[in-house]
Amino acid sequence: MIEFKDVTKSFTSGIVKTDVLKGLNFRIDKGEFVAIMATSGTGKTTLLNILGCLMKASSGSYLFEGRDIETLNDDQLSEIRNKKMGFVFQSFNLLEKTSAIDNVLLPLVYSDVYPSDAEQKAAKLLESVGLKDRINYKPGELSGGQQQRVAIARALINDPAFILADEPTGNLDAVSAKEIMGIFKSLHSQGKTIIVVTHDINIARQAARIIFLKDGKVEKEEVLK
Amino acid sequence: MKITRIAGVSVSAIFKHKVRTFLIVLAIMVGVATITVIMALTRGANKKIMQRINNFGPDAIMIHSGGGKLEGPATASEANLTKKDIADIENIDGVTLVSPFQVALDMPIKYGNKFTTSWVWGIKSNWKDAWKRGATKGEFISDADNEQLSKVCVIGQTAVKDLFGTSDPIGESILIENTSFKVIGILEKRGQAPVGADFDNLIVIPFTTASRRLMNQPLYIAMARAIVINPSAVKKVAAQIRDVLRANHNMADTEEDDFRITSPVEITKMIKSTSRTLNNFLWLVGIISPLVGGIVLMNIMLMAVSERKKEIGLRRAVGAKKKHIIFQFLAESLMLAFAGGIFGAVTGIVVTVMLAHSGKPVVITWQPFAAAFIFSAAIGLFFGIYPAKKAAALDPANALTQ
Repeated sequence: MIEFKDVTKSFTSGIVKTDVLKGLNFRIDKGEFVAIMATSGTGKTTLLNILGCLMKASSGSYLFEGRDIETLNDDQLSEIRNKKMGFVFQSFNLLEKTSAIDNVLLPLVYSDVYPSDAEQKAAKLLESVGLKDRINYKPGELSGGQQQRVAIARALINDPAFILADEPTGNLDAVSAKEIMGIFKSLHSQGKTIIVVTHDINIARQAARIIFLKDGKVEKEEVLK
Repeated sequence: MKITRIAGVSVSAIFKHKVRTFLIVLAIMVGVATITVIMALTRGANKKIMQRINNFGPDAIMIHSGGGKLEGPATASEANLTKKDIADIENIDGVTLVSPFQVALDMPIKYGNKFTTSWVWGIKSNWKDAWKRGATKGEFISDADNEQLSKVCVIGQTAVKDLFGTSDPIGESILIENTSFKVIGILEKRGQAPVGADFDNLIVIPFTTASRRLMNQPLYIAMARAIVINPSAVKKVAAQIRDVLRANHNMADTEEDDFRITSPVEITKMIKSTSRTLNNFLWLVGIISPLVGGIVLMNIMLMAVSERKKEIGLRRAVGAKKKHIIFQFLAESLMLAFAGGIFGAVTGIVVTVMLAHSGKPVVITWQPFAAAFIFSAAIGLFFGIYPAKKAAALDPANALTQ
């Protein structure tokens, strides 16, 4: 469960202070498929960084499975990212010159336990996203849609509670975008919690609930399914 | 193990960035090779100094006629030592023997149609004990030879090679400046003199023959070599010899010595002073070179960090802790430095062997490898820690959007 209570974030550049998030309140329960709808310049990236434990809020509290993120140190945040979250980025962020399977295995490098069947697990995940015969391909040899599927497999390798996707279809054509959203839907039906941050209302509408962000605040929420 | 998985990341980065790897390894290699070569040269030079001192004799004091000159033997034409001088030196406490001799440099020597030049010394039979050097083959100059003014000689191995090649010189006659001498023996090999001259390009003849027949110096003696019982007393005895000679030569306090005394103490000082500037320069290069290697490493690693910001951000996002990032980059620096160290030590040994072939005195030991190990570890750690810390300090959110 994720809960934001009056979360604010401001940046200071020189003497100019910019308030990006101005008191966000929302909660996302386990098993939900939520879209956070935000046009650029409304603090979308900042919200994503705070949600992903890559950055701390200026004030307010962020409760992650009941723990206040504010009180955790850098190493503890790294552990949460490693075990509890799977990131999917707009620009895929795969390691160059590294095979699909090794990219999928990346989070395990930093886990305390390295399962003995890690390679099989990674291969299975790649298979489940339709890349069975592309296991040893490098990112440069894969299409955008295929690269994003590798990234999704990577996000799933540690069985995280949450999948956090940042414009996952932003760099893809319509067909690939549809396929990726299809994968998210099926993951949701398997019980994963999916959070997609997007500026595209058509993408947002495929989620079960939409949180609309405007001007650093939650404008409204809309339950679709 | 997590640590081996992260080290694996470092290894694959090393193989994925070939140009970067090549440049760093090359820079460290040059540094370590320099250190290796300099160590071999310095040890070689020290060994050479020890050899020269041993050649000179650690228990010997040389007395030269004539003052002023800094090095080289005194010749019969400048001789000013008397028989009384020699007898008085013999009476000094701690002196076991004194062997006077006459010296002529670069005398023309002829055998058949062969021609060479050689030092010619007129010696007493105790020369053998004073120099611990006799004849390897045949006879040595005897007291009888001195009494009879015999025209016999014992010749050094360089002269043997120049005049006789491989044939046996004993019993043959050679011309020393148009006087015929019979070869009765071959001198033991000795190598280089402290001043650098070839000690084997030497022919010895009886002292009396040299004084009266060859060098026309019946009154005075060019040089003498004194041997002391205890090498540690060399300095003290040398001072006493000086007092005796100044008294015998009736010298006023203001006058400079009209003779020169050399002992192993002076020899060491002389050799070291000529090589000191070069040594200091070498060591300076030896320190700067690995330092430059380290700076290159740091530079390229810093570049690698800023080039790989996005990768670092990604690693942080999927759960890498700061210490993991530090370890990854430090391991990369260390492995590159070690590779450079190994190649450097090998290159250094190759260069050293080449120098040895070109005649430079060198000593190859295990120390260069130890030095390479220590230096490259130090370079890798010292110059690698800053880029690694910089990588770990990157804000993951920012790094991701690079």
